[in-house]
Amino acid sequence: MKSYLSLIPISSKVHRRQNRMTLLCIIFAVFLVTAVFSMAEMGVRMEQTRLLDKHGSLTLQDLSDSAMGQTLYLIAMVLFVLILVAGVLMISSSINSNVAQRTKFFGMMRCIGMSKQQIIRFVRLEALNWCKTAVPIGIVLGIVITWCLCAVLRFIVGDEFSNIPIFGISITGIISGIVVGIVTVLIAAKSPAKRAAKVSPVTAVSGNSESTKNVHHAVNVRLFKIETALGVHHAVSAKKNLILMTGSFALSIILFLSFSVLIDFVGYLMPQSSSTSDINISSSDGSISIDSTLLDTINDMEGVKRVFGRRSYFDVSAELDRDNILSSTIDIISYDEFDLDCLTKDDMLKKGSDISKVYGNSNYVLATWDKDSPLKIGDKIWVDNESLEIAGLLKYDPFSSDGLTNGKITLITSGDTFVRLTGITDYSLIMIQTTKNATNEDVTAISDILDKNCIFNDRRDQRTASTYIAFVFCVYGFLAIITLVTVLNIVNSISMSVSARIKQYGAMRAVGMDEHQITKMIAAEAFTYALSGCIIGCASGLLLSKLLYDILIATHFSYAIWSLPVTSLMIILLFVFAAAVAAVYAPSKRLRNMAITGTINEL
Amino acid sequence: MNLLEVSALCKTYGSGDTAVKALKNVSFSIPKGQFVAVVGESGSGKSTLLNMIGALDTPTSGNVLIDGSDVFRMKDEKLTIFRRRNIGFIFQAFNLIPELNVEQNITFPVLLDYKKPNKEYVEEILTVLSLQGRREHLPRQLSGGQQQRVAIGRALITRPMLILADEPTGNLDSQNSSEVISLLKTASKRYQQTIIMITHNRSIAATADRVLQVSDGVLSDLGGMSNEKLS
Repeated sequence: MKSYLSLIPISSKVHRRQNRMTLLCIIFAVFLVTAVFSMAEMGVRMEQTRLLDKHGSLTLQDLSDSAMGQTLYLIAMVLFVLILVAGVLMISSSINSNVAQRTKFFGMMRCIGMSKQQIIRFVRLEALNWCKTAVPIGIVLGIVITWCLCAVLRFIVGDEFSNIPIFGISITGIISGIVVGIVTVLIAAKSPAKRAAKVSPVTAVSGNSESTKNVHHAVNVRLFKIETALGVHHAVSAKKNLILMTGSFALSIILFLSFSVLIDFVGYLMPQSSSTSDINISSSDGSISIDSTLLDTINDMEGVKRVFGRRSYFDVSAELDRDNILSSTIDIISYDEFDLDCLTKDDMLKKGSDISKVYGNSNYVLATWDKDSPLKIGDKIWVDNESLEIAGLLKYDPFSSDGLTNGKITLITSGDTFVRLTGITDYSLIMIQTTKNATNEDVTAISDILDKNCIFNDRRDQRTASTYIAFVFCVYGFLAIITLVTVLNIVNSISMSVSARIKQYGAMRAVGMDEHQITKMIAAEAFTYALSGCIIGCASGLLLSKLLYDILIATHFSYAIWSLPVTSLMIILLFVFAAAVAAVYAPSKRLRNMAITGTINEL
Repeated sequence: MNLLEVSALCKTYGSGDTAVKALKNVSFSIPKGQFVAVVGESGSGKSTLLNMIGALDTPTSGNVLIDGSDVFRMKDEKLTIFRRRNIGFIFQAFNLIPELNVEQNITFPVLLDYKKPNKEYVEEILTVLSLQGRREHLPRQLSGGQQQRVAIGRALITRPMLILADEPTGNLDSQNSSEVISLLKTASKRYQQTIIMITHNRSIAATADRVLQVSDGVLSDLGGMSNEKLS
């Protein structure tokens, strides 16, 4: 041994298991930052290729000057800070527990002459020593994951991501990974190092008394069985840890509920309807003049995936059969079978609707709706001496720009019903969905067969599906990160808590606590954290969700109404439960497999 | 009738060149109600022997019969319950549960059985151990001697047939040591319990009904109190 610091690698070999969690935390932080920055750089490179393709030999402006480049790096910076904070919290708590478990060791070091400053240096260098293995692993993992993500974007999402490089290596990503690894560890080791330096030399003689210092009141064994009471007490007695764990669970839940609103918001901004068309053909004067045979002609052409049409008949007089008969004029629009199918697929219908009655030649129709609409399912409307029954209501009016009916009644019928009612067979609108590999020539060929009365509208540029998917992908990716941090945190915390009390658990096993009781005790601790996090997280998350919904969505889309996100809540509960179970599994297995004599004598 | 029968007990740690034989073919028996001291050098195998008798550790070979039951033939679950009801442990480092008060620590094995502790018996133990005034105290509020008395109380609460004590006076001063030993002896007589106690203190060993010596994994019976080898 050249100096006292040579003890660090020796001690890290001996304490490999205790250090595993800290190592995992560092790897995780490095991996995330490398992946985030690498993805940002890949995005910028993709934009560069796109601009090159578009402008040919035009000189490209500096990357960082481009708006997209700036946005991507800004997002990456925000994520960097978030990961740094989460990383510091995680690593700090594991180094803290690590130090707490070795009070006697530090006491002994002080006893044999190590100064406070040397202890601080020892703990810091010990933490940096972990970076030696954790940083390279994190970087490699980050690069590989970036490759996978790029491949997913390029081959599965496609469209505007078809230029993204797959096997790109980002220097920015690697450097930021190294920086985050070292910086988090240095910040995280600061407070545990001070704590270790404060250990009095006398602890070496008096033993590891740290764990008993915090106990101020006895366990209440009246409410629960003894093992449950002890587990709950372990969770509640360490206030700082309880706040950290509850906060970490609550934060994940709040973020999950808030991001769900964000996804809803983007859903409203870029509605993803299954019947969205790439090409629209309408009559130039708005009259009904497109021959129905045109549908078959287009259907057989190259590059066409699907063709469907709508007929319309406006301002028809009708009577609404209610307590007092209301007379008004209504609009009738026909939907082809595929169009009707899409209403079900896109969940456009209100509860209680029965769309199956509408298909074919029938007396059933659908109607548009908003919260001021007087219509109800089962209402009858008289049109031209024929009684039509409303079999279903749409959640809003898709024909108006604001989604509101503005007092107008619009009925949707099947093609056959429409023809029977009005005698009109011509279409007013033909909608075409093209195949993925449809060329511009294919589209021109379609426009060429149309006569002058038709307006040809190529809407392929307005497709938002891939942007929407990429957005959802990013949001869920971010949520997955937050979730992983929470899971790592609880697994880490429970594992550390068990390690800190291992001697006590050994004594409990010796005096007759069985394996199930040990598992129950650890589970009670984990579930106390999970439950308190769940309550606080769901309560504040729901409030925030409602608030965000009102601000972002309800003010702009007046037909949108906030409802309790039951599915999200179920997912959260299930997830929290799974995280708690995962946290209990490893430590209880470790205790079961450990000899009782080993746990009693472990110091 | 013998309460404890140990036959051909061997324990080897490690294998090959690094193998350490901690116990070498140990056999002996102890009748009911006897107070036995186990003496020997550090690392001689005393604690290993006690851990085997208490079924905290498994032997490489050999048997331990407590009241006719072969403990190493029991499945883990059954063994835990057997230990909880029939063997009381007292450790050198007390090993009390810091979150439980004196009374809760004493009744802990009963609570693990999901039974209500017998109030009169708890009172009796608290009185015998002079802990009535301390029942609500947490372990950290007690002196070493008091903590060891609580540990004795925990070992007595299930009225076990056998009490195993690993250097119960190792952390105590001479006055507390003699108090603890006299308490153990009183309990042994009063509740007809068999006590096996490891000690380094020759004068304490001299007061036992019988002394066993472990030396380099081999056990020899030094006999009763009048044995001159101890004095």
